[in-house]
Amino acid sequence: MVFESEHDFLHKLEELVKNGVKPRDIETRAPHPVHRAEEILGVRPSHVRLFVLIGGLTGATTGYLFTSLTALSWVLPVGNKPIVGIPPFTVIAFELTVLFGGLSAFLGFLVTSRMPAVRTIISNDEFKDSFEIRVKKG
Amino acid sequence: MAHSGEVAVAGAKHPASEARLQIERDIIQAMQKPGLLYWGLVGLFATGFGVFLLGAWAMQIYKGIGLGGQLNPVGWGIYIVNFVFWVGIAHSGTLISAVLFLFRSKFRASFNRAAEAMTVIAVMCAGMYPLIHLGRVWYFFWLLPYPNQRMLWTNFKSPLEWDVFAISTYLTISVVFFYVGLIPDFAIVKRYTRGVSRHVYSALSLGWLGTREQWRNYNMLYALLAGFATPLVLSVHSVVSWDFAMGLVPGWHTTIFAPYFVAGAIFSGCAMVLTLCIPMRKIQKLERVMPIEHFEKLAKTMLFTSMIVGYAYIVEFILAYYSGNVYEFGIFRDRALGHYKWQYWGMVFCNVIVPLPLFIKKLRRSLAYLFVTSIFVNIGMWLERFVIIIGSLAHEYTPYAWGNYKPRPVEISITIGTFCFFFMMFLLFAKFMPVVAITEKKEEVH
Repeated sequence: MVFESEHDFLHKLEELVKNGVKPRDIETRAPHPVHRAEEILGVRPSHVRLFVLIGGLTGATTGYLFTSLTALSWVLPVGNKPIVGIPPFTVIAFELTVLFGGLSAFLGFLVTSRMPAVRTIISNDEFKDSFEIRVKKG
Repeated sequence: MAHSGEVAVAGAKHPASEARLQIERDIIQAMQKPGLLYWGLVGLFATGFGVFLLGAWAMQIYKGIGLGGQLNPVGWGIYIVNFVFWVGIAHSGTLISAVLFLFRSKFRASFNRAAEAMTVIAVMCAGMYPLIHLGRVWYFFWLLPYPNQRMLWTNFKSPLEWDVFAISTYLTISVVFFYVGLIPDFAIVKRYTRGVSRHVYSALSLGWLGTREQWRNYNMLYALLAGFATPLVLSVHSVVSWDFAMGLVPGWHTTIFAPYFVAGAIFSGCAMVLTLCIPMRKIQKLERVMPIEHFEKLAKTMLFTSMIVGYAYIVEFILAYYSGNVYEFGIFRDRALGHYKWQYWGMVFCNVIVPLPLFIKKLRRSLAYLFVTSIFVNIGMWLERFVIIIGSLAHEYTPYAWGNYKPRPVEISITIGTFCFFFMMFLLFAKFMPVVAITEKKEEVH
């Protein structure tokens, strides 16, 4: 089913869910994000956030461990400052948290959305300006 | 694909659908084949980049870093001024795309794509300068921590090393953020192109179809990246400011530096977005998708940050006076009355006085006025970095070691060369990518 307006699309979705069609049997396409549709279908949050959590924690750990261990591998005392200095190493740890977290977010997006979708890239299937609903035959 | 009877009657488009298609056409028409004048400009800037930047840099590498004007006591010349200037320019791109996204500001949709492109290009420009500033650039990899033969590691307590991490993270995350925003738009461009370009845009869109799964993951990705980019943008310019503030140089060693630099960065970045977007709107005929109201809002942001910067200029003096430290106050007296007083008062004029008339609504809505103001602000912010860096180094503690600095031709040439590179890259971006985020503009249609 193809709709031109968001309103008709949402109306049909509500109708389908009310008639007992399972949300996971409904496939939709939209020209822009439709948050109301997610509410109707009761979608759970994306798994991308799990990737970010792991990536971010890995970054923070790497930042602290890498700086501390390299500082300890050749001890160079300067001006009675601590060899392992937490405040300066926090800057590095923060930057690596963001770097690893951001990159794993992108990786997580590719994995969870099964992209790059080679078959779609070479096919003639296009990202159209219309709302579509397809119900899988269960 | 489903083809049941629910499709609207052919020919009679729903008004919302018509509005969405209009947005699509308005933005994509800007990507049509450029005229001779456009290519001429690209060629001009490319030549400028080659001659002024690459040529001068090659000569500096051949003859040695002594070709520039940096000497004791001013060891950091306009290469470092340019570095800080370009990092600052980059910042408002992230501000507009990430911070305003988190605040759900509507006006961001007009500028976020152009601002993100500007960020990526400006960080490239900034990244060149630490390398240009190196005496022996072929040893640049000594900045990176790698397991070398003697297992010596970089000093992670040095602000300069923090900078390596901050700038490279900033470049990477900005590129990812920029590209992620483009994925759905590339899929739209695919629909409008034929032949080889269709394949290229199709590959760049990674097979985007706008399915529920894709949008769900995409929204999560975008929100998380915005969440990461917001503290990142604050950290990067803070780290840049610590390059100075960690040093025991009067005029640098203050805690105000980080917030002061971040506000200044956003201020200069807003000005550069205006400098780029006002001509782009005219040349690319984007009047319908970039309304004046949005420019007015950007002008308000610029005015607000201008006042923060003006406040910082005053507070710096009062803090220096109140500290009772003769060196600290001496440097500030010297800023206003000394060898670089013209630069200082030029900075105050451009950054504090020129933006003030923006309190008048009529002027905020005049694109010509905004364009002129933005040029003044760009100059003013460049002068600010000059005043801070060179003014402080020239007059440190011992009068015997004082000395002034003047940029040499090679430094001026390289500075002009980066501007050429910046404009060349932006012109290319404006023809090969959708300059306004199409799907975000469509979301506003109901």
